[in-house]
Amino acid sequence: MALSVGDLDLRAVSDALGQRALTSVEATEAYLRRIDAHDGVLRSYITVTADAALAQAKAADAEIASGRRRGPMHGVPIALKDLIAVAGVKMTSGSQVLADHVPAQDAFVTRRLKDAGAVLLGKLAMHEWAFGRPATDGPFPTGRNPWDVTRAPAGSSSGSAVAAAAGLCAGALGSDTGGSIRGPAAMTGLVGHKPTYGLVSRSGVLALSWSLDHVGPMTRGVWDSAVLLQAIAGADPDDTSTRGAQTQDYVAALEGGARGLRLGLLKRYYVDFPGLNDEVRAAALTAFDVLRKEGAIIEDVDAPLLDLALPMWQPIMAEAYEYHAETLRKSPEKYRDGLRTRIYMGALVTAQDFLHAQRLRERFRREVDALLSKVDALIFPGQMTPAVKFEDFPTSGFAPASIRYTAPWNLLGLPAAVVPSGFTRDGLPVSIQIVGRRFDDATVLRIARAYERVTEWHRRRPDPARWRL
Amino acid sequence: MKSQDQRAQFDAECRTAGLTLSDRDRDLLYDMWLEWLPQRDLLRATSPKPEDEPWR
Repeated sequence: MALSVGDLDLRAVSDALGQRALTSVEATEAYLRRIDAHDGVLRSYITVTADAALAQAKAADAEIASGRRRGPMHGVPIALKDLIAVAGVKMTSGSQVLADHVPAQDAFVTRRLKDAGAVLLGKLAMHEWAFGRPATDGPFPTGRNPWDVTRAPAGSSSGSAVAAAAGLCAGALGSDTGGSIRGPAAMTGLVGHKPTYGLVSRSGVLALSWSLDHVGPMTRGVWDSAVLLQAIAGADPDDTSTRGAQTQDYVAALEGGARGLRLGLLKRYYVDFPGLNDEVRAAALTAFDVLRKEGAIIEDVDAPLLDLALPMWQPIMAEAYEYHAETLRKSPEKYRDGLRTRIYMGALVTAQDFLHAQRLRERFRREVDALLSKVDALIFPGQMTPAVKFEDFPTSGFAPASIRYTAPWNLLGLPAAVVPSGFTRDGLPVSIQIVGRRFDDATVLRIARAYERVTEWHRRRPDPARWRL
Repeated sequence: MKSQDQRAQFDAECRTAGLTLSDRDRDLLYDMWLEWLPQRDLLRATSPKPEDEPWR
């Protein structure tokens, strides 16, 4: 095996397996060695299921050798955020409440991935209950950014970002309620895709806020996210939000290019926002020029109700209080201080505020749907800033200011992806974001790929020599 | 609103919500609630229209 598996993206691993240049056991062993060597610093895994992964890899190799490769995920080692159930494997949600919890059944997405022949390396670190803050101490550290281990990878799918960016798995699943896939993907130079609400089942996935929660891929490349999405998308009777799921062929659409696509740049709310980091802004504007050169037609657009998106998002997060109220009452000491307070905030949301927010959410939906009837997708910078040092991460407030760039799209349930668009002078990744029409995830990925294929940012890898404390 | 009035309003909202909190949690929550007030005011100041019906 001459391949350095840790440097490959999911597509290269998949192709090597398909060409028999690599076996699934070799790939799995390579990732396990890399986890063993580096995760003491990076802390991306909560649980590594080495024996089960090797058994799955052996089975995959046997099937592939007999000419029965199930598809592009067959034999590919990946990992899951630790709120996605794998039968018989501890699932903690990064919380002492569930420190010893072992689910009996797989989540729907886990079953789908097993059916696709994926190898599951383990369960990934995360912010406590998908709503806590970065932590370097305690029983559940949330992971260190492989581009600079003194910086947080953001969250809450922090371990998913770290493991995928550092090559400790070929790709990962995360979840996103206000930006928890896209934020950490942006901070670590990954593609992060929050699918359309109702496209991917959350059954067997621990909830944060039901009407805002999404499950999706975090990977080094756009193709990688497309094949992962293909594997997990579709209706599930156990998650009624997926009753109307409309799947597409996400891979077939990828190479369609940007020519002729109309893209709406949300300039006022995002590009002109004074809090936007200058290097993120400059890289994004350059990226939009690249898309223009690729034939996209870009025009400035606006959705005035974006100004109300965060005031709407916060009361709807009262769903988290409803979910946690009983456990919080019985065992408040099992929640970290900051998280406990954030969840309590939901108790102070009146029914009138909640319903008021839901009504305005509907108006916001109509406003953005009207915009998306004129353009194929919306574009803007992927995040407000590059990754911040652990000590600079906000310790107060309900949510970091950065969710301005992500949470509105959870409210609307529209497909949204970040794709790497450069690096700061300090060597930190930055990204752009693309939002599409409901159930048109294929166009979002196509635009991301149109940008990716004429740029080199996604080929850069963090240097393991710098993974020291 | 004066800060003591705000604190009284916060305490009343906690009572209405049935929250029983440690002193530390109450103080942390008060700070967060204060930060949230401008957003809540903005939300409350925006009147829904008849067609803004979430489950239409």
